[in-house]
Order: sequence, then structure tokens, then C-alpha cells
Amino acid sequence: MLKFIPIKAVAGIVGFESPAAEYTQLSLDLDQLLIDHPSATYIGIADGDSMVGDGIFSGDLLIVDRALEIKDHDVVVANLNGVFVCKKVNKSQRCLMSSGDNVPPYFLQEGDIFQVEGIVTRSIRLHRPFTKSL
Amino acid sequence: MYALCDVNSMYANCEKVFDPTIRNKPVVVLTNNDGCICAACGIAKRMGIGKKFIPYFQVKKELAAAGAIVRSSNYELYADLSQRMMDTCARFAPDINVYSIDECFLYYGKQAAAPPQGWHALATQIRHTVWREVRLPICVGIGPTPTLAKAANHAAKKVEGFAGIAILDNKEAQQAALSQMAVTDVWGIGSRLGKRLNAMGVHSAWQLANRNPTLIRKEFSILVENTVRELNGEVRHTWDTVRSDKKEIYSTRSFGQRISEYEELRSALASHAEVVSAKLRKQKSLATSMTMFATSSPHDDEGYFKRSHFHRFTTATNDTRNIVRVTEEAMAHLFKAGVRYYKCGVGLMDLHNESLYQHDLFTPSNDSPSLMQCLDSINGKYGRATVHLAAKGFEQKFAMRRAFLSPQYTTRWSDIPKVIC
Repeated sequence: MLKFIPIKAVAGIVGFESPAAEYTQLSLDLDQLLIDHPSATYIGIADGDSMVGDGIFSGDLLIVDRALEIKDHDVVVANLNGVFVCKKVNKSQRCLMSSGDNVPPYFLQEGDIFQVEGIVTRSIRLHRPFTKSL
Repeated sequence: MYALCDVNSMYANCEKVFDPTIRNKPVVVLTNNDGCICAACGIAKRMGIGKKFIPYFQVKKELAAAGAIVRSSNYELYADLSQRMMDTCARFAPDINVYSIDECFLYYGKQAAAPPQGWHALATQIRHTVWREVRLPICVGIGPTPTLAKAANHAAKKVEGFAGIAILDNKEAQQAALSQMAVTDVWGIGSRLGKRLNAMGVHSAWQLANRNPTLIRKEFSILVENTVRELNGEVRHTWDTVRSDKKEIYSTRSFGQRISEYEELRSALASHAEVVSAKLRKQKSLATSMTMFATSSPHDDEGYFKRSHFHRFTTATNDTRNIVRVTEEAMAHLFKAGVRYYKCGVGLMDLHNESLYQHDLFTPSNDSPSLMQCLDSINGKYGRATVHLAAKGFEQKFAMRRAFLSPQYTTRWSDIPKVIC
């Protein structure tokens, strides 16, 4: 019987490579734009309306950077007595300022547990809610 | 000079990073399936609770009475925070070697001159930066060899007065720290070696450092000789030996609930076999021996049942199909009707470097490296066990029990921390 050498047929037809193929690396990356210190940055979710004057609404995403030096009137996330809060710091008066309607400043007292957890460098508004579940 | 940075009670302190309510409370973390205690934070340790490797159910009441916070192991969180800690440490040295999930060596070059601010100030800076940016407490030990850096780290952690930082850059400092250190606390000296050394009158690390290295080599091995030389400031470890390939690879786990069905045990074993095969290929090794075991719980009333099965491959392999096939054969030895299995596992031993292995002329390997590479890259891209052998089954009844699991704050969108405004 005749023996066949099993070589598969190959059609020599290939399409033209997309002229844009070399540029696919250029698509934009939000992390790169919004996050300066990746290993020191966390994302949180805002809950409450006390910071609306600074444009932070309930449900916004907060990008929190721990690597930055804190400056007066920075918007920060802090641990206040075991709760993460978002406030503006006023160093000279040792108080936490809100920017919502009729929310008084909070003056730090003896015995309060207070640690700055990081600086809110960006916040992201969801003008339409997510359609996918998180 | 080398610096060893090591997170204090890594798992327990990771739990505190995103949960401010427990920062000042005693926290203990349980192992896989909430079986034993595997980590306790400093507060818990000072209270004398949360001893390592004690079964949880034995100390459940004691922990509750002490107001301890109990957590299941949240590996997703620990892995992410570990990566952040390593990235942060890496900024402070030209070279870094990640040694384990919670420790890394920084390397500053042979006979490196002290940095302008001094070693102690540099170590302080690393420690403060990791605390500020990652919120994990670390200890830093600096010494002229990896073994001395390890010893310095031990002193930083355990000896009072060092407060998290120890620099062993001169003989006086080395003598002071090593004299206070038990010989079994030296890197690479286990309890068995320790007993033999104790019998020779060597109790402290300093006594070991003063032994004649040549005689130590005759009495023990070149490894112990290297340790003695390293304790005297002579570098013997290279990055490769610091990060040597594993000599054996295991995957074992206790079941969420007891299982007693043949099919369930078989698919659990197959699943472990897949895990070890993938790990084996990752370090580019071949295995020639394999061990499998299945046991009931020693704490159950029915009595303890333990069976194991050993298999030797005629040809060294790292092909998942060959390795999973053996679990089939093992089932005949491991399975007994009526036993309520608590734990099973698969181990690969006698590992060889893939590129150096001499194959047998008469029993050629039937491994398919290209198929395995395909499998690994699909699973690497789309997640573990996206593609797997059917033997593993589709429904995992024995998934880990993690009843006290904290959220995956940094790796899952639905779990990101809430900030009150």
C-alpha cells in the first residue's frame, strides 16, 4: 500500500496587518493618570453628605494617597475613634471641618483616637450609577 | 550590607489596616478552614492569648472572654498588602530579594559605605515609610551578611531596647546581640542541629560564631560552616541559595465539612494534584516521587483513620495528566467506606531541575510541555482552574471554611472601605 507522508495542507493566504497594530499600546489608563503612588494608594467609597461643598457626594469613589505630606485644609481620610471619616483638616485650630450644610467643625479632644489615614487626592462622581454590580 | 525587613505578626496586623475598630484590640487569625491559630497581634501576645498552632476550638472560650477578635485567613488581602510592603521597601535599596510573604532582604553591595544619614537613620526611615504608606509595623535588621541581618532582625524584635531596629555593623554590636540569642534562633539552625550543638556546649549564637569553621564542617556540614562564617561577617549565601527551589511541594487542606463519598475524596485529591503540578512547572522542576494521604480528624469520636500512599514515577514528570492519574490508583488505598474524612493532600518529592534531568532511554517521557504551557497560560490569564482535568469535578464541596473572613478591601470592588462623610 502506498504510504502517505502526513503533511498538513497550509493555505498561503494572510490578510494585511492592521496599520494601527503598532499603536495599540497607546490606549489610556486611568490608574496611570489618577494614581501617583500605587503602593500607597487605596480606594474608598464616600457615605454621607457632609463634604458636598468640596464636591464629594455620597457614593463617590475616593482615591486616598498615604505617601503625601499633609497640608493645611487638605481633604483627608482619618481614623476618628475607630471610624474612617472624610474631613478637611485645620491644623492651627486642631479641628476637622466639614463642608455640608450646617455641619459644625469637630474639635479634637483629649482622649480622641485620631490618625490621618491618607489624603484624598481625587474623587470620582458617578453621574450615572453602575449598571454592573460591584 | 544587607537589611532584613520583616512585618510583625503579618496576618494579624493586615487585619487592622482597613478596620479601625480593631486597631487597639487583640486580634488572632486562624489557619485554613479555621482550624488552628496562626497569628496573633502584639496586643494579643502581651495578653498571653493566641498561642500559635493551638486548635481554635480548644481556646474558643478563652479568646471570647478576653474580647479577642478572631479572623479567618484573608489571603487575598495579605498578598496585596505584602506586594505593597515589598514595593515600598524596594525604594530604599538597589537590590531586593523577597524571601517570604512578610520578609525581604535589601542588598547594598559588598562593603557598602554607610549612607550619609547612617544605617540607623536609614532603617528608621524604611520603618516609618512602611508604617505610613502601608500601615504595617515592620522590624529592620542590618548586618554585613544575610545571616547577621537575620540575627539583627531577631534582636530588633525580641531584645528589649532595640525598638524595632538593630544594626550589627561592628564586632561589639554583633557580640552584644549574638550573646543574647539562642543558637536555635540562628537562621538555618533547626532544633535537631541545636540539640547536637548544645551537647557540645554551644548554647548562644555568639558561642557558635566563635567555633572553628573547619572543625564545624567536619562535625556537621558545609551548611553549618557557612553559617559560622556568616556570623563572622563573611558572605557565604548568594541570592540563589537565599531563594532556593523547594525540595518538595505539598498541597493539603482540611475539608470545610467532613466528607465520606468516594467521588468527593477522589476529586479533592485530583484538585490537589493539579495545584502541585502547576507549582512544580512554575519552578521548572520534574518530580519522581509522589505521596498522597487522607485522614479523619483526631478530634472526632470515631477514632483516628490515616492512610497514605506512595508512588514512584518510572519517568520524572511535571505533566498534570500523569500526576492526576496517580490519585486514581491511590484511591484504592486511601478510601474506606464509612470514614468521615477531615483532610487530604498530595506531595511531590525528589524534584529535579527540568533542564538538567537525564531521561531514561527505554521509558521516554510522555509529558506534553506545550499542552501544559497552554494550560498554565490560560489559567494564569483567566484565573486558577479555568481549565482543569475533569477528574477534579465541577462542584467544589470542600471549599475552604472561612467563617470569620474580613472583606477583600483592596482587591474586590464591592469590598472597598466605607468612609463616613
